[in-house]
Order: sequence, then C-alpha cells, then structure tokens
Amino acid sequence: MSTAACEQQETGWGILQDLPGDPMIWVLIFSELVAFGLFLGAFSVTRAIHPAEFAAGQAMLDSHLAGLNTIVLVTSGWAAARATRAARNRQRSTTRYWLLGAMALGGLFISIKLAEYAEEIGRGVGLETSLFFTLYFLLTGFHLLHVGLGIIILAVVCGRAGISGVETATAFWHMVDLVWIVMFPILYLVK
Amino acid sequence: MTMPDRIDVTWIMLIGLALATILLPPLVPRPLFGNTLLLAFAALKGHRIALDFMDLRAVPALWRGLVVSWILIVLLLAWLASAIVALI
Repeated sequence: MSTAACEQQETGWGILQDLPGDPMIWVLIFSELVAFGLFLGAFSVTRAIHPAEFAAGQAMLDSHLAGLNTIVLVTSGWAAARATRAARNRQRSTTRYWLLGAMALGGLFISIKLAEYAEEIGRGVGLETSLFFTLYFLLTGFHLLHVGLGIIILAVVCGRAGISGVETATAFWHMVDLVWIVMFPILYLVK
Repeated sequence: MTMPDRIDVTWIMLIGLALATILLPPLVPRPLFGNTLLLAFAALKGHRIALDFMDLRAVPALWRGLVVSWILIVLLLAWLASAIVALI
C-alpha cells in the first residue's frame, strides 16, 4: 500500500474523506441542514394551520429587498467557487481576491437584511407581533448569524489561501447560500 | 472556440432564476400554479448550487443524494402546505 493510501486510511473519516475540504465541516453542514430543514418544515406546517395570519404577515415583508439579497448571495457564492478554483490552481493572490469579493458581498447581504429589519421594526413589527413574525425573525436571524460566521471563516482562510482551508470555508459558505435559496420563496413569496 | 466555464454558467443561470422568482408572483394570478413554479425554481437553483458550487458533482452519489433530498423534502413540504391552504 502506498504512503498516501496509508495516510488516508489513518485519518479515520471514511467516506467523508471524499468530500471537498475538511470532513469536520461536512459534519457541521449536515447538522445545520437538518436544523434549518426542521425549522422550515415547522414554518410550512404552521402556515397550513394559520393561513390568514401568515398571509397578513407575509404582505408586510419587502420581497424585492429580499430578492436583491438573493442576487447578492448567489454572486457571493460564485466568487467563493472561483476562489476554490484559484486555490486548486495554486494562484494565491487570485484566491484572496475572490475570497475578499465573497466576503464583501456577504457584508452587503448583512447590510441589506439589517435595513430590511429596520424598515419592519419601524412599521411596528416585532418578534412577538404574531406567530408568523416570531418564526420569520428566528429563521432569518439564525441564517444571518450563519452569514456572519461564514464571513469570519472566509477571513480566517484568506491569509494562507491554501487548498484545504479554502475548500472548507467555501463549503460552509455555499451551505449558507443554499439555505437562503430555499428559505426566500417559502418565507416571502409562497401564498 | 472555448467552452464557457461551468461555474460562470451556473452563476448566470442562478441570476436568471432569481430574477424570474422576483418578477413571477404578480404575473401568475393562480396561487397554486405560481407556488409550484416558485418552488420548482428554488429546487433548480439549489440543485445547481449543490452540484457546481459545493462541488458535489464528482463525489459519491450518497452525498449528492443527501443534499438534493434535503432540498426536495423542504420544498415539497412547503408546496403541500400551500396546496392545503389553496384547496381549503
């Protein structure tokens, strides 16, 4: 058996080893997907039980601002995917450039979301206004925390810009992107 | 002639689908049909993110299947809830 094969066996991650980046990030990603999935499932079931309350709540949201945030976040995901490509090609400065772009767009997402919250709070809406808004603020707030955490992880790997670090950080970032893509129509648009 | 990069094609497709998602609701008067389209767009976007951005295209089918199943289950549940609301 080759030395590389022996080393791979000794890592003890089994089939998780086939995924890009550190296998530990994938344990976190699958755990987060389960948590968000349960949360979104609870939202859908509650909507079926209280349709009028949810329709009234949804009508108070700014779906255009949230749509703009979708474009910002998928563009950030594209920059992160480009960073991974550059890291694999061992182009460190290009990798950093794309990672900085992904982080800047992540920061823009947070700014737009906070502006949206300010607009909603200004209209007298809060966490306890209705069941819809309790779930809305918890879901989007939990997601916003992940965007912040994702930016920190991208910043941590930006310095060295090594292949494994960049793959690990961008895998988490794409999970944050994926959750928003699923969450956006469920919260803002589905009647 | 060089082939367009898959990552770039996916990004353009995601932007197109995001714009369609934003512009669609006023154009479709029937909620159930509109919801079906919106959630189908979300499934398409999620699928492309999983395959091309998360890089799951080349990994064992188990991992791809888990992520794609997550997307489909969450969206299917949302569609069922909206169908119940529309039909009652």
